[in-house]
Amino acid sequence: MSETAEYYRDRVVTALVMFSIIWAVLGMLAGVYVAAELVWPQLDFGQPWLSYGRLRTLHTNGIVFGFGVSALMATAFYSVQRTSHVPLFAPRLAWVVCYAWQLVVLVGGISLLMGVNASKEYAELEWPFDIAITLAWVGFAVVFFGTIATRRIKPIYVSNWFYGGLIIVIAMLHIVNSLAIPVTLTKSYSLFPGAQDAIVQWWYGHNAVGFLLTGGFLGMMYYFLPKQAERPIWSYRLSIVAFWAFTYSYIWAGPHHLHYNAIPEWVQSLGMVMSLILLAPSWATMINGIMTVSTASEKLKTDPALKFIVLALAFYGLATFEGPMMAIRSVNVISHFTEWTIGHVHSGALGWNALITFGTFYFMVPRLAGRPLHSVKLANIHFWLALAGVMLYILAMWGAGVSQGLLWLSLDELGELRFSFTDIMASTAPYYLLRLVGGTIFLAGAVLMAFNLYMTMAGQATVRVSPPSVAAGEAAA
Amino acid sequence: MELWPRFADGQHLFARMKSTELSPALIIRLLFQPRAVFDELSTTRPSAYSVFFRLALWIGVVPPIFAFVGASLFGWRLGAVEPIFFPTGVLVAISVAYFLTLLFGFVSSAIVSQWMASTYGARHSLGIHFAMVTVVGAPLAVGSIIHLFPHVFINILVLVPTLIWSMYLLYRGLPVVLQTTPERGMLMASSLIGYLLVAAVSLLGITVVLWGQGIGPRVGI
Repeated sequence: MSETAEYYRDRVVTALVMFSIIWAVLGMLAGVYVAAELVWPQLDFGQPWLSYGRLRTLHTNGIVFGFGVSALMATAFYSVQRTSHVPLFAPRLAWVVCYAWQLVVLVGGISLLMGVNASKEYAELEWPFDIAITLAWVGFAVVFFGTIATRRIKPIYVSNWFYGGLIIVIAMLHIVNSLAIPVTLTKSYSLFPGAQDAIVQWWYGHNAVGFLLTGGFLGMMYYFLPKQAERPIWSYRLSIVAFWAFTYSYIWAGPHHLHYNAIPEWVQSLGMVMSLILLAPSWATMINGIMTVSTASEKLKTDPALKFIVLALAFYGLATFEGPMMAIRSVNVISHFTEWTIGHVHSGALGWNALITFGTFYFMVPRLAGRPLHSVKLANIHFWLALAGVMLYILAMWGAGVSQGLLWLSLDELGELRFSFTDIMASTAPYYLLRLVGGTIFLAGAVLMAFNLYMTMAGQATVRVSPPSVAAGEAAA
Repeated sequence: MELWPRFADGQHLFARMKSTELSPALIIRLLFQPRAVFDELSTTRPSAYSVFFRLALWIGVVPPIFAFVGASLFGWRLGAVEPIFFPTGVLVAISVAYFLTLLFGFVSSAIVSQWMASTYGARHSLGIHFAMVTVVGAPLAVGSIIHLFPHVFINILVLVPTLIWSMYLLYRGLPVVLQTTPERGMLMASSLIGYLLVAAVSLLGITVVLWGQGIGPRVGI
């Protein structure tokens, strides 16, 4: 049979996993450094490229686009082949996408250190990079949807719906939000004026969180959790309903970033209400994941990866509850512009995105290498470091955020603001130190993982796996 | 009509409470002999009433009292130059709200834990879930002594290690007390952590909404 001569194109997956791990360590290191700068500002040594403003964007871009997107590309390529029973469509293009993406992140990161910045959060890279991102993304779409189009199984598994949603929506958001008039090679001005620019920016910004950091990683969960648990997803029907509810409601939620700003109040209210509705599909997915794993507890004896995914689901539950709550205007009036928001972002980024990716990598890399994980003990230590790190981080930011919110709005007997901005910032310093400790512990865990996975993969060629026969595929479907 | 319920064996509620093996000394023993307490709980079948009235209620009242006394003496110290003092009436309202929230958190956690029990093959009686939540909450109640000096950062510094102790008790104790396998216990404990994190952040959300409504410190909204 012709299928037996075929094999899944997993070398590109291995490369993307390795790049993702490198960006994870570098991105988190930048995060720890900027956290230290908030405690000891002199750590910039008077160098503009070491300043908080530049390193912070390097941190966010390195994590979201370097670590996150590389992981999503790796897992999308890995899972779409196995759920379609065909090798990757246009495998050479997949390699081009892999290296083009790494080049964009690397050169883009250098441009951020040089001070080239489009002044839009999570879209800081200037217009030449925007064009390069678009081209690489189209390549990603061609490989992914090409594989789906040539599949040998009729149903399209739910993880592919989420990955597909990620690719389409991020393309739409990126292109619209990046529309700009270039002035020089390193400077452009947005096509949208004033408040409209803010609305477009947060339509992009929040849905980058939604479809990339949530939807994309849900795709990861829907494939790798059942694989690790060796159980089908608890309710496939619920997963599909949650996908469409998620897709419909997320796209409206962006204006909650602009409460009490110069945009129409009804737009703010719409953003708030849709954010609250979003809780339903988010928690439906969480329950689906938890119930899937609940019947596979014996796997925990041998599989360190599953723990990460279980804990990731708990933090997913927290972050998807906290987000809608903070979108309520009467909560937001105190929480906005405080460290609480930073804590919320990291309960999602560390607790959900990073933990589920770590769990997935601990599952994938031994299979790609064709041998067991180098050290299960190190992976277990990593688990506890990750939990301790994220908890310290979140608690520090909750304390800092609520204190800031109260101090900023606190009035004296005459109805005047009681505290000055500098007083309040000075009062936040101890929390920054606690956050630095939490972040460092989390980074230490990531370094352990990098070492563990490197030792697992070192000297090994990526295992060649052939797709099963069509008949077996139909049976599996 | 009798004021207090009578159990199937004819005992009144308070008689049953006296016969229970759970006592306030449990909290002290938890600090030094947690495994012995887990083993003991695993073989007992405490009633929800006895755990609630003999232990949980009194443990729950401790943090608000410490908070009230601390805020009266020293004011809320959020790290800024001057502390924030409140009139006694406001402090009473805040402390009562704190107590009620803790009570709600306790009961809801036990009910959620009981709801999860069938999924993870754990014991189902509400009393044992009340006991488990009491065990997990006990270090936090002991740590709440730091509320006597309500400097927020110092409170966080003290409560973080007690929180870690609580989580240790949850992960270690749950499979023993609720008689399930360590693996299923780990999954159930992680699910409960998810619920408790949501409960904690809800506490923050409710607090700031109350501030916005004029209950608590005076804020310029």
